[in-house]
Amino acid sequence: MSTSQAIYAGWMEIQNIAVDDLARTQAEEAQVAALATQYAGTLYRVAYSVLRNPADAEDAVQEAFLRVLRHRDTLDEVRDHRVWLIRIVWNIVLDRKRRAKTRPETDDVAELARVLPCGGLTAEQIASAAQHHAQVLGCVEKLPAKERQVLMLSAFEELSSVEIAEVLGITESSVRSRLFRARNLMAELLNHSRSLR
Amino acid sequence: MNSPIHNFPTHGSNPGPVSSGFTSELASSQAEQTLRLIAQLPSPEGLDDRVIAGLHRAPRRGRVLTWPGSLSGSGGAWMRGAAAAAIVFVVAGGGWGIYTRVEPAQPARVLVMPRAGAAGGFSGAGAMRTPETLHGPVVAQPVTEKPIEVKAARKTPARVVHLPLRALQPDDNAVAKQPGAATAK
Repeated sequence: MSTSQAIYAGWMEIQNIAVDDLARTQAEEAQVAALATQYAGTLYRVAYSVLRNPADAEDAVQEAFLRVLRHRDTLDEVRDHRVWLIRIVWNIVLDRKRRAKTRPETDDVAELARVLPCGGLTAEQIASAAQHHAQVLGCVEKLPAKERQVLMLSAFEELSSVEIAEVLGITESSVRSRLFRARNLMAELLNHSRSLR
Repeated sequence: MNSPIHNFPTHGSNPGPVSSGFTSELASSQAEQTLRLIAQLPSPEGLDDRVIAGLHRAPRRGRVLTWPGSLSGSGGAWMRGAAAAAIVFVVAGGGWGIYTRVEPAQPARVLVMPRAGAAGGFSGAGAMRTPETLHGPVVAQPVTEKPIEVKAARKTPARVVHLPLRALQPDDNAVAKQPGAATAK
């Protein structure tokens, strides 16, 4: 092969690589968009359970998918996209929660207790239910961070103990023991707060 | 898929300080019911569309092209070497061309004075250099002669003292020459 032929072949190959890159990028973006369509709702609920603010939860979901887009090269290596995405959004919301410590928790709890569904109840029952939810959420906030996280994730029916362990980066047995402690502490806190009333 | 975690028994392998009885379990389950309600809240309408739109607005990441296959093998090693040599030649030639064409600026003529107090040298002793200028015509100043003797003579008019000749001694003569000596007497 002469030099000019080699240069021409190389140039053509560079063009082919550029075209392949573009096609691959588009395919990866389509894959991320499919993930967003499939799991945006789940991620939103996970984010909302911690942040308790619709706008903040949506921002967290958006940030999670932007991170996914940034690391789209590794998408093929991920075994379970759902757990992987929940782990990403979980870390994001914990980070945001840590940074937004200045906001009083009581506002969040009262707001959340109001938006919880109370179908087919009278006004008095709705008020009573909201009070009960606020009391429960107040007790959840008093739990130690490790126990609280496990308890909150266990409320998601689509997450098994193995998956919670994967999200939190701990073993399954740790998840079980933390959940056990969390339930006991919750019961104690609720009994204590009821005895005070 | 594994069993959901909310089906775990509360009394497992970890015995702990449970606030015993039915009430504790009831309280715990009520609390979990609240958390489950939160977990089941519906997501807002059009969330996924907004997320996808946000992904399209995200800045694109730059990619680095790899060597083409025909150049990446061992056969293309000499071509890569030639390309590298050509780049080096162009850069070095350009630099040399600029270096030879640009005339260095003439250094300013500066009279360097030895620093005062420099070790091993002579100090200027605070002397300042003054530029050399042409000597212009020098106007001679008229010399005025002062009549000093005349003034002195006017101030102290000579007084002649008439003394008898026989009494004129060398000492008396000296006294007589001094002005005011006679008046003091």
